[in-house]
Amino acid sequence: MAETDRLEPVAPEGLRLTVNIRHRVGALAIAADFQLTKPWTVLFGPSGSGKSTILRVIAGLIPQDARDIEPRSRRIPLAPQSPSLFPHWNVSDNLTMRRVRSPAEIEEILSLFRLGHLQHKLPRALSGGEAQRVNVARAMAWAARGGLLLLDEPFAGMDTALRDEILPEMRTWLAKRDVSILSVTHDVAEAFQLAAEVIKIADGKVIAQGPVEIVLSEERQRLLNQLHG
Amino acid sequence: MDSQALWLTLRLALTTTALLLAIALPLAWWIASGAGAIRALTQAVVALPLVLPPTVLGFYLLVALGPLTAPGRLIIRILGHPLAFSFSGLVLGSMLYSLPFAVQPLVAGFRAIDPALGEVASTLGASPLRIFRTITLPLAKSSLIAAAVLTFTHTVGEFGVVLMLGGNIPGATRTLSIALYDQVQDFNYAAANRTAGVLLVFSLLTLIAIYWRGASRRSLLG
Repeated sequence: MAETDRLEPVAPEGLRLTVNIRHRVGALAIAADFQLTKPWTVLFGPSGSGKSTILRVIAGLIPQDARDIEPRSRRIPLAPQSPSLFPHWNVSDNLTMRRVRSPAEIEEILSLFRLGHLQHKLPRALSGGEAQRVNVARAMAWAARGGLLLLDEPFAGMDTALRDEILPEMRTWLAKRDVSILSVTHDVAEAFQLAAEVIKIADGKVIAQGPVEIVLSEERQRLLNQLHG
Repeated sequence: MDSQALWLTLRLALTTTALLLAIALPLAWWIASGAGAIRALTQAVVALPLVLPPTVLGFYLLVALGPLTAPGRLIIRILGHPLAFSFSGLVLGSMLYSLPFAVQPLVAGFRAIDPALGEVASTLGASPLRIFRTITLPLAKSSLIAAAVLTFTHTVGEFGVVLMLGGNIPGATRTLSIALYDQVQDFNYAAANRTAGVLLVFSLLTLIAIYWRGASRRSLLG
């Protein structure tokens, strides 16, 4: 019990990330200022609202002058929406990027994502769901202790039963290392399942931030009405 | 068979291929990694030897490397002799002449790589050099082989640039194609026949090797 308590801190120590982004993609002007203080925060919004772009800016993939992020971290791994696995490396090499890593750490992540039996397979031999798991696992393998991890639709294409199985283990793993997550979703149910802090985005701007029950109450009602009506 | 010319031709082709790839790799990577007027201009200049008569290229090099220009005079002062009519001069001329054959397959190869791979790797802490070495280069391997083979064979077969820039000095600038020209001028058709046969068989074998590999590995020459 004591162990569980320790593993669920209100906010990971050390991480209070302030994000100020000004960026323009085509017709969409992104102006997003927010703070990350919880272990798991979800960017929620319709497609085309700028969620993925915000992740890319935070990851440093869009030029430096467009972002102002404190504290500056040397590495913020991103699991992009489409898996983008290195096609010439097997699953295990995709995780380690052929660098020297503790085998125990890599094995732990492989087994967390139920990838142990696939570790010698090349990406082209994987199903969509498997590739997606490798994608998230790879980002986790490179998360800095006490740092941030960016996951773009991490559970898209993943079997729901498997997701329910993996999620608690993922939380334990993250908590142990003080790693915080900023993930993107457009799925109300998923946001509720993650029981996360939610930042609601529309047209590149933050329109609400807070606990999921409050920020997404309307969306949930709509979803329930659809189910019952 | 002029074995001295054969040996010189192979040495020229090997040297040219090695040096040219060292330049073409970063150049092609730079061209492939973006768009814009400067890149378009660079690509156009790189492609020039495809459309220019080799004698035009040879002529400009001959002038540029000779005592008429400042760089030419500098080279003469450093080396003690002009680059023209020497093996080094031929290497330089061949490199320029084969530039598009090395750069274009590489640009195509680099452009075919999903840019998301490099992006992901960089968020995972990999340096640009590491990404190039461990991801870009292995994924562009078949283009790299195509570039090397094309440069090598193209150099073996070059004539105009060599003639303009190198002349016909046995052991220094007299390549197989020049030797063939000489043999025909001397009405020595038997020797010319052997030289031409060597060049023909060599080129054919190389192309068979490329297409064979290409058929099993999918798209090598585009």
